[in-house]
Amino acid sequence: MNKKRAIILSTVIIFSFFAVYLRLTDLMILSHKRLSEKAKLQHIKVEDIHVRRGIIFDRRGRELALNLELESLYCDPESLNLDNESARRLATVMSKEPKVILAKVPKEGRFAWIARKLEDDTAEKIKRLNIKGLGFLTEAKRFYPKGELTSHILGFVGVDNQALEGVELKYDKYLKTQGGKVFFGRDASGRTLSSGVDIEAKGNNVVLTIDEGLQGIVEKELDKAMVRWRAAAASAIMMDPFTGEILALANRPSYNPNSPGSVSSSDRRNRAITDCYEPGSTFKIIIGVASLEEKMAKQDTLFDVSKGSIDAGGKTIRDVHKYGILTFKEVIQKSSNVGSITIGMKLGKERIYKYAKLLGIGEKTGIDLPGEVSGWIRPPEKWSGTSIGAIPIGQEVAVTPLQMLRAYSAIANGGFLVRPHVVSEIISPDGQVLSSLRDKEKKQIISSKTAETFKDILKSVVEEGGTGRSASIEGDEVAGKTGTAQIINPKTKRYSKEKYVSSFIGFVPADNPRLAIIVVIYEPKGQIYGGVVAAPVFRDIANQALSYLNIPRGKDAYEIPLLIAR
Amino acid sequence: MIHTGNRRNMVSFIIKPLLIALLLFSLFGLVWLRSHVVTLEYNLSDLEKKKIECLKERKTLLAEKANILSFGKVETSLRRNYGFVFPERVRVIHVKRQKEPLPYKASLDKKRLIEP
Repeated sequence: MNKKRAIILSTVIIFSFFAVYLRLTDLMILSHKRLSEKAKLQHIKVEDIHVRRGIIFDRRGRELALNLELESLYCDPESLNLDNESARRLATVMSKEPKVILAKVPKEGRFAWIARKLEDDTAEKIKRLNIKGLGFLTEAKRFYPKGELTSHILGFVGVDNQALEGVELKYDKYLKTQGGKVFFGRDASGRTLSSGVDIEAKGNNVVLTIDEGLQGIVEKELDKAMVRWRAAAASAIMMDPFTGEILALANRPSYNPNSPGSVSSSDRRNRAITDCYEPGSTFKIIIGVASLEEKMAKQDTLFDVSKGSIDAGGKTIRDVHKYGILTFKEVIQKSSNVGSITIGMKLGKERIYKYAKLLGIGEKTGIDLPGEVSGWIRPPEKWSGTSIGAIPIGQEVAVTPLQMLRAYSAIANGGFLVRPHVVSEIISPDGQVLSSLRDKEKKQIISSKTAETFKDILKSVVEEGGTGRSASIEGDEVAGKTGTAQIINPKTKRYSKEKYVSSFIGFVPADNPRLAIIVVIYEPKGQIYGGVVAAPVFRDIANQALSYLNIPRGKDAYEIPLLIAR
Repeated sequence: MIHTGNRRNMVSFIIKPLLIALLLFSLFGLVWLRSHVVTLEYNLSDLEKKKIECLKERKTLLAEKANILSFGKVETSLRRNYGFVFPERVRVIHVKRQKEPLPYKASLDKKRLIEP
């Protein structure tokens, strides 16, 4: 009996062991792959590395674009418990209609966004509702702390931080960075172990040539001008004429890059580089420089403009006043159309075209912002009979404000054509300078003597008897030129009698230029002349900018030697 | 011979339990170390979460600071609250800073002596 029991017991034990072996074989050999995958999923948590765009600084290290960490609300439709009451409470917190929220919840699937990048207090309130199936993920939101300031330079990004405009778009490859995955160990209760890896990947930082202070001055004065002249639009650029560094660039209308969708695409346009206009008298720089460079005229060469009008290809062009006999200098100073066309006729279309091209007209400046247009000037063989009477006075050509500023900077810096740029350095997240984008080589396009002579002529424009008198600054010499141009009416295809573009381009201090500035006011009401509308804006900008930069007055300035003891 | 055999028995009597104790102690040490490492990893993970929270806070504060220190805001505030204005340039005197005079010292160094 005992033996029988022993046999049964042994058999049970053997079969039990055999069953265990079979199960072990199944677990460790046959189902090994599937089970180890399952175990990995349970024990290892995979998270995306938080990719953050680099910061954009102004030239003094002030943040112009940075990132905020905000929480986005998602739902798991399979486990979501969102009845009508919960939906109503959620909608109240989010200030939305319940149906709007319910429309975002799909019938199947495991993930759907409800709202992206919520304010902190809203996210907290939603968490307190404790609705099953809702979750939060932290996302970066691009934030522009200065609001509208520098909006046309900075551009903006989309909801997924994809670059859409401005420096954000042009320097996207530096600002963004590669993402990746981080693996964390976790236990049964969901607690994670340290991975030892930084979960945040930062893009490189970009340093602009823009100075927030100067930008603020330019934008403030543009706003004033827009109100005063009830203008349709306005642009202003301030540049270092020697280096091409853009110190400020502003357009009106403008927009807040934190909510770019709230305005029309037209308001988001960077008119200073994307819009062309007929420059009017500011274009007389071309015939002025050409005749000096070709030694066709000197400052005191006389031109008879006493008729007050001139015929060019059957079209009569008049001066605002009858001047009599003017010197070459006075032709520019008083902005005589008759004198300029007379000089233009002497030069001939080939040379006018050559010097226009030399000064960068009809060519992109190469500024590091997206959307720049090249402007337009017809080659001589395509000029009409009236072109020789139009082009010397800035008609039949299309330029951008930046092109004109670059041309005048060549006078300010002794004859060099600079490349305007808005970014000076790319810096790694740990502060290493990765690349310096300052230009070292410059191209001399006109002689320094011509530049110096024309600078003297431009100074006279702002002196007594010149058209730009209201651009003068007490204590400093200003050199510049006014421009008033009619706008073509797109319906009639003829020059409008009501719509004008008023502009002023100049540099200051004239003998040691630190700032080159252009102001363009589109469709001012009440007054049309560049000397009345744009020149005072130039003066106010230049005056404050020189104060801000602490540049001593050139004329009548005095210094008191002071011994300072420590 | 008997004496030697007794000694061997004595040695094995002491060493065997010692070895077993050492083995158990080592095993316990390994388990203890491992559990300690896991605890540290949990602590590190908690600290990393705190770090992320602090970084988030820092970013928010940085943004607020940049916003508050906007040139336009500062200028408006100073103008309205304290009556500050951009100085007219004609009213500004630029003072040229000179090197401080070094004290004379007894020396035949002419260069030093002629310094102010």
